[in-house]
Amino acid sequence: MRTFQRGEKAKLSDLTPATELVAGVTIAGAGSEVFDVSCFGVDASGKLSDDRYFIFFNQRTSPEGAITGLGPTNGDDEAFRVELSQLPASIAKLVFTATIDGAGAMSSVRTGHLRLTVAGKEVARFGFSGSDFSAEKAVILGEVYRKDVWRFAAVGQGFNGGLPALLTHFGGEALEASAPPPPPPAPAAPLPVSAPPPPPVAPPAPAPAVPPPPSVNLSKVTLEKKGASRSVDLRKGGGTQTMHFNLNWSAQVAGGRKRGFLSSGTQAPDLDLGCMLEMTDGQKTVIQPLGDYYGDAQNYPFVWLDKDDRSGHDADGENLFVYRPDLIRRMLVFALIYDGAPDFKSVGTSLTIRDQDGNETFVKLDNPDAGRSFAAICMITNTGSAVEIRKEEQYFKGAQECDQRYQFGFRWSAGSK
Amino acid sequence: MTVSLSKGGNVSLSKSEPGLRKVLIGLGWDTRSTDGQDFDLDASLFLLNNTGRVRTDSDFIFYNNLRSADGAVEHTGDNLTGEGDGDDEAIKVNFELVPADVEKLAVTVTIHDAETRRQSFGQVDNAFIRVVNDETGSEIVRYDLSEDASTETAMIFGEVYRHGGEWKFRAVGQGYAGGLGPLSRSFGVNVG
Repeated sequence: MRTFQRGEKAKLSDLTPATELVAGVTIAGAGSEVFDVSCFGVDASGKLSDDRYFIFFNQRTSPEGAITGLGPTNGDDEAFRVELSQLPASIAKLVFTATIDGAGAMSSVRTGHLRLTVAGKEVARFGFSGSDFSAEKAVILGEVYRKDVWRFAAVGQGFNGGLPALLTHFGGEALEASAPPPPPPAPAAPLPVSAPPPPPVAPPAPAPAVPPPPSVNLSKVTLEKKGASRSVDLRKGGGTQTMHFNLNWSAQVAGGRKRGFLSSGTQAPDLDLGCMLEMTDGQKTVIQPLGDYYGDAQNYPFVWLDKDDRSGHDADGENLFVYRPDLIRRMLVFALIYDGAPDFKSVGTSLTIRDQDGNETFVKLDNPDAGRSFAAICMITNTGSAVEIRKEEQYFKGAQECDQRYQFGFRWSAGSK
Repeated sequence: MTVSLSKGGNVSLSKSEPGLRKVLIGLGWDTRSTDGQDFDLDASLFLLNNTGRVRTDSDFIFYNNLRSADGAVEHTGDNLTGEGDGDDEAIKVNFELVPADVEKLAVTVTIHDAETRRQSFGQVDNAFIRVVNDETGSEIVRYDLSEDASTETAMIFGEVYRHGGEWKFRAVGQGYAGGLGPLSRSFGVNVG
């Protein structure tokens, strides 16, 4: 195994005769920085002339499969399997990058490395730390490139402007226009055999056109911990662009096995998405299927719940749209289990929030309380020029208990679908 | 027609260009596209005797001593950023004025302030040295160092030397630890 310093280069053939490599990256910050590791397959002039060779969290493999994002592998946070012999001649360089999504700079990296392994054996390692960097938010860690022969270079240089600056560096203007669509959210659970109860007679508000997905989805944040938050700038769209909340869950039995076609007589859990809403003018309302109130897309409060997915098998899950985030003072997004499970422990529940810039924020219910079927997932707070999304993950017996905690002050009565 | 050399290769300038009297030694590199401090690369030339050392300190041609006493060597000046196409720095040599006891002209490039800026040649793209007939403008030889440069902060890019009545050029691509100070001391210059 050979260690590389910043700027050091070598012929790949001096490291290994193999053409199938795994490039692994580990990167640890000092605090809550979120790092995204990507691979750019660029042409001889260093440009991303084919978007399909931008391998990142929303595009895991190149067309012929020569580059595949593996996710966490062999102790590394992210890894890419590369088969150089399968790469088209137009791809001259594979650039491995790390970008910080949100706050932070590369100077706060405690420790990290880019390494090449062949059949599990490490052949090259470039170690780096925050002292190699200053205000960069996106760095090129290293490159595997073709110049007469395949070579490896430890680079360790980057851009203060983060991913957008990196994309500009790769000539990424075209990227905006023709990037791949974001993939569907969490995988759908199998269809249960027994039919769900008939849907309530509750004609929802006239369906507005679902906003088209953003052309490229570059930004993604997972709010890992309770209290973790993210700010979404409202100024760009004047506060009138849509925020989209998608609730998804995988229907599992307590043993952890997925419910299959043969498990008749049991039902997949039925989850409802809803929100408690306080508007800037002081008005308050609750939008949820149980209360038979789905909101209104075109009129006040400009918040609309699109459907009541009774099983979780619909790949769309349940969707809540906020058309005028600027009119909201605060909004608590919650999920409740209507039927099929005693609590969230056996239900893998997640909420994906897509803002007007195409940024995704991912909130997962990680530590459910036993016996509580009502979860406050996140709080949206309007701070004037931005909205803050804060992970709550608090569990309650029901909406009323939740309201006592968050002090919206609704009057509650029992309801049924 | 340009000869493209790889590390260690050499070519006879006199044979390539019969009647060659004056050459321009051009050196180039690409400015960084990433953020951070600019790379300031400095080209220097050492007039060396048959023991590989300077005769006097004035044989060290660099940004503070742009012209040799005999007028044989002239540095065209310091470029601080490496921006622009073509040569970033150039040194002109008039072979007819090179003193007879000078056997070799070593052309070096050093990274200014490399240690505090934490920079090395491995981070510099498209470094090259080329020799041009300064009377006709035609390029005689070129050496692209990109893949030979790594963590060095000072490098001998190439050398022009006498060989049996001819002038030849060798692609050296050899790195030195340290900067211009240690490099010039190794050629016998008394650096303060």
